[in-house]
Amino acid sequence: MSTSINQTSLDNGLTVIHQEMPWLSSVSFTILLPYGASHDPKGYEGATSVLHDWLFRGANGLSSKEISNSLDSLGTRRGGGTGKEASTFSGSCLLSSFDESLKLFAMSLIKPNLDNSEFNSARLLAEQELESLQDSPSQLLFKQLSKEYFGSSHRNSSYGTAQGLSNLSAEFLKELAKKHLSPKGAILAVAGGIKNNDLIETVRKYFSDWQGSEAINNELRLNPVKQSHLIQESSQVHIALAYPAVSAKEKGWYENALAISVLSGGMGARLFSEVREKRGLVYSVSAFSRVLKNHGYTMAYAGTTPEKADETIEVLTNELRNISNGVNQNELERARIGLLSQMVMQAESTGSKASTLANDYYLLARNRSPEEIKTALNEISLEQLNDFLSSYKPEFRILSLGPKEIKKVNL
Amino acid sequence: MKLKFDEITLDNGLKIIAEHNPNLETIAFGYFVNTGSRDERSEISGVSHFLEHMMFKGTQKRSPEDINREFDEIGANYNAYTNKEHTVYYGAALREKSSELIDILTDMMRPALRENDFDLEKNVILEEIAMYEDRPDFKVFDIGMEHFYNGHSLGNSVLGSSQSIKDLKIGQMRDYFEKRYASDNLYCVVAGNYDWDEIIEQITKASSSWAIQNSLRSYPKLNFNNENKIIKDKKLNRSHVALFSEGVAAQDDKRYAAAILASLLGGGSGRLYWALTDKGLVDSASLGHDISDQTGAFVGYISADPKELDNVLDIYFDVLAKTDDITNDEWARAQRKIASSTMLRSETAFSRLMSLGRNYLYNRNYKTINSTVDKILNTNLLEAKEILEKKPFENMSTIILSP
Repeated sequence: MSTSINQTSLDNGLTVIHQEMPWLSSVSFTILLPYGASHDPKGYEGATSVLHDWLFRGANGLSSKEISNSLDSLGTRRGGGTGKEASTFSGSCLLSSFDESLKLFAMSLIKPNLDNSEFNSARLLAEQELESLQDSPSQLLFKQLSKEYFGSSHRNSSYGTAQGLSNLSAEFLKELAKKHLSPKGAILAVAGGIKNNDLIETVRKYFSDWQGSEAINNELRLNPVKQSHLIQESSQVHIALAYPAVSAKEKGWYENALAISVLSGGMGARLFSEVREKRGLVYSVSAFSRVLKNHGYTMAYAGTTPEKADETIEVLTNELRNISNGVNQNELERARIGLLSQMVMQAESTGSKASTLANDYYLLARNRSPEEIKTALNEISLEQLNDFLSSYKPEFRILSLGPKEIKKVNL
Repeated sequence: MKLKFDEITLDNGLKIIAEHNPNLETIAFGYFVNTGSRDERSEISGVSHFLEHMMFKGTQKRSPEDINREFDEIGANYNAYTNKEHTVYYGAALREKSSELIDILTDMMRPALRENDFDLEKNVILEEIAMYEDRPDFKVFDIGMEHFYNGHSLGNSVLGSSQSIKDLKIGQMRDYFEKRYASDNLYCVVAGNYDWDEIIEQITKASSSWAIQNSLRSYPKLNFNNENKIIKDKKLNRSHVALFSEGVAAQDDKRYAAAILASLLGGGSGRLYWALTDKGLVDSASLGHDISDQTGAFVGYISADPKELDNVLDIYFDVLAKTDDITNDEWARAQRKIASSTMLRSETAFSRLMSLGRNYLYNRNYKTINSTVDKILNTNLLEAKEILEKKPFENMSTIILSP
């Protein structure tokens, strides 16, 4: 039950992507702005995520609470957050509440109050969240791994740093807001029971006055391979690693997606089967893709008790490396149907549909239809996939966290 | 959106309930077993959850590898979970893979429970226990519930302890399985786009050997412990607080009022949020309402700077003490918020499966999305006042895990 994807560009630069799901009375939307933690100025790490919070603390003379109460009355669920390169603001509501909800979101982006007292609260909350991270070893580990992996400002995490947060001021963030809050490069993706004409009319009503400057692209650099360990009292040793893969625009994108699925798609995939099912080394083990505009990378995680850590890292890295020796036909078929049915299942929820539409457009500057993805995946032969994999040599940046150092592996 | 409800009880006592949605290209299918850690004696603590893992370890005709591989071959999204009262096995797949999906999950309900698989899987369970040891926000609830339920089996840990898992024998698990997975103690639930006649035919055939056991759940008298408890753990950075008080049962009509009240006070933009989180005094302060079989609880959580904890707790209890001033407007807002998220959650076959199954386990009836939404919107503030008359927040059991 797939409908076509509509694309409209407003004069001010905002791109609207829409897919109708006529059988639903709900609508979801995602507004993606192309700035994220990697745009935090040096010494002000955490700036974009404090700004993200601050924006929804009042607009157009309405207080933070008034905005929130209005959205609650409309029954609008809201979400979003800051990533490395992009920030999102998302909402889901019934069709009858869509117009009002979008108006409140537009207001918050175009005419935020940016009150000083609300800035203080937003910063304090960010500091609390950063402190809280210390009690969550696996999340802390991924934040630190980013710093090991990226040489450029992409190393920044949305949590920021204690120093960065304390250096922030309301004036500083207002300047940053002027630079980044702009329809240029911004994407509004909408999925659900709304017609394209009605949508465009609503969007024009609330977003046409928005003006701003061009989006800024950041240079991206990686650090050399490295393995390190953080000593922390914990029950498990948490192991995470990252290595470069394929970006959305590069050749090999679908082959890479299939490879990750062979490694970590279902419970029959290699990592789950080798690390957990056959050896009982872990409860949790997985590999997953991360994509930035011009860079794709793979991350993997395993958590195990200290006495099994050496064997776990050995088996994990061997499995990730072994895939360059090729996969078999059955593995390819499982990976293929896994990806295809994921796609259909996600497309049945307006929320995940809207977020996929926004991301796809952000990465590719166009949207792929389900048919295009299906054809591309179906066309890949075993030979073609194994050809791609034979040139695949993961270069690991490994970081572990736990009570004692673990075995060093080849990087 | 017109959805059709189907239900049947097979000759072996197995009930199948289903909600048909012709707009979807997918099907979600599951077995909801009426068993969990509250049905365990202390010597088999953790067996429900361990058994859930073992159900993926093969049957008379499938090896452990076969199960996972066959799920993957049909591109299914599948998993299982165990809580205090339920064990649920589920999968979602494209409509054309329905019969394979149903075949694997139904076969799984009569597992081989081989001893060598049991021994190997023990390691995985022990790793899972160790993983949650590193999650103080989880651990404080495990400790807190045991304390609050005060010897009642609702305080039992779902995972069990490292010791109880090490001591567990395969024979004890097989006995537990025989009693708790009988055809009259589990329910087959379907949602999405399916063919009802085919479903009945396939499951009737696949479950022909299943038998009724008349297993009952016991309901010992509840005797809550409202005293506070402080546990020191010097490796922590924050104070993690779990709070409990008696609420409303899953079978009680007042559960809607309890849920709206909890959301108004302690949901995403509720009163506690504005008093504590919005101001950056904590990174989390919430209150929810958890329904259980024949009982319920208001459950709170706080994560705060240990130096500020006394002040934070004062504000938390102050907010909960002042509920006389709830206006009709504020109540209506909370109603609409919950009603709307109920509607929004109903888009996918998977989320419908979960709603249908959970409600059925408690109430043995079917509720359409619209009837649930109507019920939420028609719940009067006076019903919440009745709950508040019992002063549920005056003496909450407070468990603090702190450095």
